[in-house]
Amino acid sequence: MAGYKLLVVDDEKNKGLLYEQELEDEGYEVDIAISGVEALEKFKMNSYDLVILDIGMPEMDGLETLGRLVAIDNSIPVIIYTAFPSFKENFMSWAAEAYVVKSMDLGELKLKIKEVLGE
Amino acid sequence: MSELRKDPVTGRWVVIATERGKRPTDYASSEQRSESANCPFCEGSEHMTPPEVYAVRDQNTLPDTKGWNIRVVTNKFPALRPEGTLTHERRGIFERLDGIGAHEVIIETTGHFDYIQDRTNESLIRLIDTYRLRLEALMRDDRLMYAQLFKNKGELAGASLSHPHTQIIATPVVPKSVGDALNGSHSYFEAEKRCVFCDIIGEERKSGARIVYENDSFISFCPYASRFPFEMWLAPKRHKSNFISIDSAETAALADCLKITMKKLMASLGDPQYNIVLHTVPNAAAAGEFPVGMDDYYHYHFEIFPKLTKIAGFEWGTGIHINPTPPEDAAKFLQNAEI
Repeated sequence: MAGYKLLVVDDEKNKGLLYEQELEDEGYEVDIAISGVEALEKFKMNSYDLVILDIGMPEMDGLETLGRLVAIDNSIPVIIYTAFPSFKENFMSWAAEAYVVKSMDLGELKLKIKEVLGE
Repeated sequence: MSELRKDPVTGRWVVIATERGKRPTDYASSEQRSESANCPFCEGSEHMTPPEVYAVRDQNTLPDTKGWNIRVVTNKFPALRPEGTLTHERRGIFERLDGIGAHEVIIETTGHFDYIQDRTNESLIRLIDTYRLRLEALMRDDRLMYAQLFKNKGELAGASLSHPHTQIIATPVVPKSVGDALNGSHSYFEAEKRCVFCDIIGEERKSGARIVYENDSFISFCPYASRFPFEMWLAPKRHKSNFISIDSAETAALADCLKITMKKLMASLGDPQYNIVLHTVPNAAAAGEFPVGMDDYYHYHFEIFPKLTKIAGFEWGTGIHINPTPPEDAAKFLQNAEI
């Protein structure tokens, strides 16, 4: 797992910090973006192995952000990480590699990250 | 004064506004079309979908590459999955089944805005044939009792993308509404010794007041007890219970009927959002749940619902829909629509 660099996008700063800490404990290098706009800027400036993307964000929601991310580079996998399973019905979510519904512990997300990165 | 009308199949009541009803221009439901950028259904985006389970494609082209006319893929994030065993449990008064099923998406065309009314008959024949083949394939799994084929167009109708697509969700149970229609059809058959749908088609052809279009094998009409303004049913004139038994001549006739009917709808209402659903018999594995002779008393058909009104408290509470446009008025507009 060493060496993988992740971009976590969530408009709730405290959640982002929690994800950062937990995922760094797993050995990943983590960047945080608190909006779709910031995510796109960081995505253009840096090289990531994986993006973890919230959907419900103000201004530019996660699905729009996803569309823009894959337009820049569709080879970087994205995991949608949202509290709402209903976005699965939106076919634009298919641009993501995986879809994980948020829960209190990050076990499922961590497993999915490993799966997507082929660890 | 309005009137209540009873659907002869299900016994469901509707309230029809028989005074001067709403005209097509009173409705505005044009679709907010989504852009084609990053559309997972457009040609060249094959990598964004799960592998195709079926495709109509040019010779010498590989699966999941360009060169297709129709692609069928499983839903990437399905509500029901085919993997696993189906266990059925009772917990007191409650009952549960594992979420076994299937969810396929039929990408109808490479064109992002290539809607039914604009396509060639040949293209629609290929589409209908794809419907038949996929339903036939799904119904080979005897864990799956019913396969619902449906099409959503526009956000109000539940579509998230403008790119034309149809979905099939196969369930391990026969949905209640399908069971109600089967039981209603059986009751009529018991009393009259005839198929209720054949009788409806006969009545419609006799009066002509609600017919939208007909050819040798298919008819489209606004049903007597329409729940929604401009609701239409498309049915084969020859008695047939199971859509998957459609033959090539009937497929061509259905393509023609569907295209003309949708052209008339567009000419009357602009670019409405709508749902199309297929009603057909359940899998043979579910036959034991219903009176014997399903093939005699049921009759497959498509239903089209333009999304022009909202379902509100009264409809949810009673199941009685209030339709502000009498089907006779809707049919008249559709009959006279210049296409």
